[in-house]
This record gives sequence, structure tokens and C-alpha cells, in this order.
Amino acid sequence: MEPPNLYPVKLYVYDLSKGLARRLSPIMLGKQLEGIWHTSIVVHKDEFFFGSGGISSCPPGGTLLGPPDSVVDVGSTEVTEEIFLEYLSSLGESLFRGEAYNLFEHNCNTFSNEVAQFLTGRKIPSYITDLPSEVLSTTGGGLDGVGLKQKMAGEDMNLGVRNLRERMSTVSSITA
Amino acid sequence: MAENGESSGPPRPSRGPASAQGPASAPAEPKIIKVTVKTPKEKEEFAVPENSSVQQFKEAISKRFKSQTDQLVLIFAGKILKDQDTLIQHGIHDGLTVHLVIKSQNRPQGQSTQPSNAAGTNTTSPSTPRNNSTPLSTNSNPFGLGSLGGLAGLSSLGLSSTNFSELQNQMQQQLLSSPEMMIQIMENPFVQSMLSNPDLMRQLIMANPQMQQLIQRNPEISHLLNNPDIMRQTLEIARNPAMMQEMMRNQDLALSNLESIPGGYNALRRMYTDIQEPMLNAAQEQFGGNPFASVGSSSSSGEGTQPSRTENRDPLPNPWAPPPATQSSATTSTTSSSGSGSGSGSSSTSATGNTVAAANYVASIFSTPGMQSLLQQITENPQLIQNMLSAPYMRSMMQSLSQNPDLAAQMMLNSPVFTANPQLQEQMRPQLPAFLQQMQNPDTLSAMSNPRAMQALMQIQQGLQTLATEAPGLIPSFAPGVGVGVLGTAIGPVGPVTPIGPIGPIVPFTPIGPIGPIGPTGPAGPPGSTGSGGPPGPTISSSAPSETTSPISESGPNQQFIQQMVQALAGANPPQLPNPEVRFQQQLEQLNAMGFLNREANLQALIATGGDINAAIERLLGSQPS
Repeated sequence: MEPPNLYPVKLYVYDLSKGLARRLSPIMLGKQLEGIWHTSIVVHKDEFFFGSGGISSCPPGGTLLGPPDSVVDVGSTEVTEEIFLEYLSSLGESLFRGEAYNLFEHNCNTFSNEVAQFLTGRKIPSYITDLPSEVLSTTGGGLDGVGLKQKMAGEDMNLGVRNLRERMSTVSSITA
Repeated sequence: MAENGESSGPPRPSRGPASAQGPASAPAEPKIIKVTVKTPKEKEEFAVPENSSVQQFKEAISKRFKSQTDQLVLIFAGKILKDQDTLIQHGIHDGLTVHLVIKSQNRPQGQSTQPSNAAGTNTTSPSTPRNNSTPLSTNSNPFGLGSLGGLAGLSSLGLSSTNFSELQNQMQQQLLSSPEMMIQIMENPFVQSMLSNPDLMRQLIMANPQMQQLIQRNPEISHLLNNPDIMRQTLEIARNPAMMQEMMRNQDLALSNLESIPGGYNALRRMYTDIQEPMLNAAQEQFGGNPFASVGSSSSSGEGTQPSRTENRDPLPNPWAPPPATQSSATTSTTSSSGSGSGSGSSSTSATGNTVAAANYVASIFSTPGMQSLLQQITENPQLIQNMLSAPYMRSMMQSLSQNPDLAAQMMLNSPVFTANPQLQEQMRPQLPAFLQQMQNPDTLSAMSNPRAMQALMQIQQGLQTLATEAPGLIPSFAPGVGVGVLGTAIGPVGPVTPIGPIGPIVPFTPIGPIGPIGPTGPAGPPGSTGSGGPPGPTISSSAPSETTSPISESGPNQQFIQQMVQALAGANPPQLPNPEVRFQQQLEQLNAMGFLNREANLQALIATGGDINAAIERLLGSQPS
């Protein structure tokens, strides 16, 4: 049998605070956080992420956040696009519906982790998945207000902007 | 010896019986391992012999999950498990998890678009069989037609949101962002035939609520849509992605060329207006859409401000806009019809244009409320203005204008405002060169980017206008030349003027602006000579900048008078006068940074020069400002 194709799987990591968390977290939380991480999985030339609107996709680096702050190579997968999309469909109906989104327990990073494991068997770096517990474990949790809102805003912003862009492109596509 | 003689090796967990499946008792230690099988929806544990094949594993799974074995796709560590493999081969040991995806049988090849518009249902509801239905709104499927007003419908939708429209958006976005898909769509004969029917296209376009909004704001667009020629051209462009790309490429190329060749003025102008128009549209669209937009894409809103910039910096309403617009009126129309800026590529192509027509066209676009709000937002963001001002081609444009006073005169005079008032034209003419000079003054530029300054200017203008109405006696002392002369004065910041109150859009439209300022200007001109009609009040103030009664003006007597006026104005509102130190905070900091450490002296100089840094510096250095 011919060797199956291997598709690279990457994890795009964005810092929603754009460096602010690194600077302010010691003050606000009492511990050093390197960033407020938002992640997405890039495979088959598409970026997939989970937000309050459910699972979404866009061209890599195509969210409002722009290019990722860092890219982690998760590995490779044989899973074809077809199978992957079916998988995502069922995920989206079950575990990752839009309303299932929870900033701490069940967020974009949860999704990325899940998908990464599905695709390659590997998890995403722990500093990302540990973020909610890190934040929750601080006493003041001052960053709760700032960073988390940012993260939520980031997620929503993503979606909001995505929607907006779609609307705009709708217009341009119609007029173009 | 020991009992365990039979099978060498680790003690086996329950043999055979316990495990539900597994033909156990295979010769070579059929160690039973527990493997978790995880689907997106559920997870089950299976105990199977270690050496079983994937095929056998699938059979067990199919019973539990009630599907057929060929619907099952097993994935472990990123690899798809093939039937003839064994679990060991893939390193599947006890306690590990294998992922399962169950394909639905009824999925046709690659999912063709189902013409049902409201396929929306999807998601949640149907469980297994249906769950794979459609791809995650991604490429692979030519939903294409969906983007054209939802015509051919969206084939199902699979995941994520139950929100149909969002899905549609997603798909559209996917579609549009994937060039291959676009190509596919465009080449679809159905699409093509549709595109080539202008009537149908027009209907489609009109049917889109966003378009309708756009049209409301920009009546010109409806003109465009009704113009068969333009429609045809646009459609052709749209139909031919290659052509569109080509045009856009040309556009980009041209633009970059222009930036590097200050001399290419004409081309610049043309380009500039071409950008103005579609950007205007885009900006307006954005404003109607989502605040995020303007934040996120500052470039486009920045571009959109260009028209305002034009207005802003010079008292002459749109001097540049109308004439340049001419050149490409046809193009601009095409571009605007092709929506957000992307169509600007077509600018390079056409060239015709009827000056006046285009001028009016452009001017009227500026006068829409959308533009106003756009301008307002823009001016509230000084950064944008700064960016725009520093755009290289802006500079070169101004340079060329100043070098060619006739050209400038021409442009100004062609402005609709002036056409109604030939006298003003005459007055403006001599002022032009000085004017342009002013434009180039970096001072001016920095003043332009200072919203407070702009506001102050506008207030002055308003004030003067009011003054003209209330106390016409004062006005006559304004020699007609004064008004005009004032126009020619530097557009420096107006320090002493205190914000009398919010002024509103800084330069809503030039068309009327410039002349307006000191109203009286012209003989018996109605106060704030709105010149040729056009929005009164605020508009006039818009041209405030031009007048700026800034102390730095060219003509002596004018300057003095204006200074007096300003003083009077300032004096009239002492309570509102913020502490000069506060007002000049920014300038003070700048002076500090430059090395002028004597705060007191700086402040004095700033007050004397009305916040004009350069002049203040000169003052500080001991020489009088010019």
C-alpha cells in the first residue's frame, strides 16, 4: 500500500494581551503570566478555533489577531481533510457547541488540545492549558478583570470581526 | 515447573471470557488490553486482544456503535488505522485512547451544493448518521453560489452554530478567502450567465440589505447600478477573476510608483480620487457595520479620511477632489460599484471624465451624513490624520500643487462652490500660491492633526460667522481681501481660541468650506458665505482651518485684525479658557524634548504664538516669527 499522506499540524498561539499580561500580571495577580493565550489549530491550510460562536475556521492567520505570536509544531497527521471535517462536525454538535464555551473550563485551548490529540496523539504545550488554573489559583485575581475580559473580548472580537468581514466580503462579492 | 509454563510472559489478565470480543485464545499470548475508543460524542472502553487486527477491532466497535465497519475511521497518534494493520503495529497498548470518526453513508462525493436555501437545520439535532454531513463550512465545496445573494443555497452546514446566518457568513468568508474556490465559482457557467445579465445582477445587488444601506448613503451607487454600461463593465471584471487581479495589481503598482515619483502629479491625483471614492464607500460600509471595523482596519478608514483631509487642510473645498475625480469618473463609478476599494484597480483603466460632473459626484458623496460621521471619527483620531498627512503622495501632491499655482487655481475654481461665486474666485486666485505654501508648512500639518486645534479653528469660524450676523458693523472693516487673505494665512494652531463647545465634524466638506470662514469675505456675502448653498453652519466652520486666524499669517493687516478677533473671542470666553499650561501640554512636552527647558519661557512663547511650536521656538531663540 502506498504511504499515506502526512499533513502537518500546527498550533497557532496568540497572546491576547499583546504583552500586557507579561508586564502586568506580577502586579495584578502576584505571579508571572507570560500571556493570555488563544490558540487555534492549523491543518489542511486552514485555521480552526473554538469560540462562543462554536467551531470556526478561516485562512491561517486570518483572524483579527493577525499573524500568530508563535507557532508550535504539533506533528503530522494522516487524517484527511474529509475525515477531519466530519470529525469537527460531530465535535461541533456535541462537545464544542457555541453555548458550551466557558472561558476557563472549555475554551479555545480546550478545543485545540482536543483536536491536536485527535490529529496527532499529542497534546498542546501545558503552559497554555494550565492558564485558567493559574489564573484561578491567584488570590486577587485582579487579572481576572483585565486579562480574562481580554480573552473573552479576544474570542468575541475574533468572531465579531469575522462576522463583519464576512458581511463586508458579502457586499464586495456581490458588487464585485 | 511453575504453572505459568504454558505462556511465557507476563501474567495475562482475564483470558478470553471477560473480554466481550476478541477471539482470544490465540496462540501467541492474546493479552487483552483495554482500549478506549473516543468519538466526538462519546467514549467507550473496549477490551481486545493485543494482537487483534484493526479489522477485528472495528467489528467490535461497529456492534457497540451501531454502524458498519466501513463507516468507521480509526485514528491513533495521527495515523489512520487500516483494516489489515494490527493494534500492536501502531503501538496501541493497554489504556490508550483511539479516536473514532463515523462516516455517514449518505454523503455524496464531495458534497455537492444542495439547492435548499434553508438547509440551515444541521448541527445538533441528528446524531451519528448525519453528523458528518458537511464539511466545516470549508472550501472543498463550491457553496459559491451562496455568496451571490444566497442563490443556490448553502449546502448543509454541519457544525458549530445553529445560527444559520452565521454559518452562511462563515461559508461565504471561506469561499471568498479561497482563491481556488472563487475561481471555481466564477467559472461555473451558471454563475457566469447570471453575471452577464445586468438586470439580474442589479436585482441581486439591490436585494442585499447592506447594499441597500450603502445605496441610501450613496445615491450615486444606485446611479451606477442603473447604468448598464457600467454594470456590464463591472460584471465583466467580476466575472473574470484574472482581470480583476490584474487590475488590482496594476493599481498597486501604479500607486507604489506614484509614491516614489513626486512628479507624477496627474497620475497621483487620479489615483487619489479613485481611492477616495471606494474608500469612502468602504468606510461608510464599515461605519454602518461594526465599530471593530474602523478599529481593526485603520488603513481603510485612514484612506477614507483622505477626502476629509483634503477638506481639512485647505480652505478650498475639495479643490483637488473635483478635478481629479474627473479623470476617472467612469473609473470611480466602477470602483465604487465594486465595493470596498478592491475595485479601485479599475482606476488605472478608464480615463475619461467630465470634470464638473465628477466634481459634483464626489462632492455630493462627501456631503452624505455617512461621510460626516466618518470625518468626525477620523478627526477624533489624530493618528489617522497624521498618517494620512504623511502619506508620501499627499506630500508630493501638495508640492506639485504649490509649484503649479495655475493648476491649483484651476482646481479650486472648478470646485462647485466657486462656480457659484465668481467674485470669490477672483479673490482666491492670488491667494493660492501663498495658500499652497501654507499647506506644505509642516506646522500646518501638525496643526491639522491636532483635533483640538481643528476644533478651535472651527469655533473661530463659527464665531466669526455669528459675529458677522450679529454685528455686521465689524465686518466691513474686513476688507474683502481680508477674508481672502485670511484664507491664505497659515493654518497654524489657534492657541488662544478656546473651545467654545463641540464643533462637530471638522471638515465635513470642503465644497463650501473655504470661502465660508470669515463669511463677509465677499461683498455682502451672507455671513459665513456658504457660498453656493450647501450645508450651512458646521460646514462653514469646517473651513475654519483655512482661516485660522493664526498669528502666523501672511498679510500684515489681516493678521493683526485676526489676532484682535481672536483675542476678543478668547476674552469673551475666559471661563472656558483652559489653563494655557494644560492646553499647551503637548507642545510644552515637545519643547522640553527639544531642549528648551525653561518652562515659563516656553509657555510664554506658546501663548504668544498660539500654540505654534515652530514659531514658539523661533521666539525662544530670539527672533520674531514671520
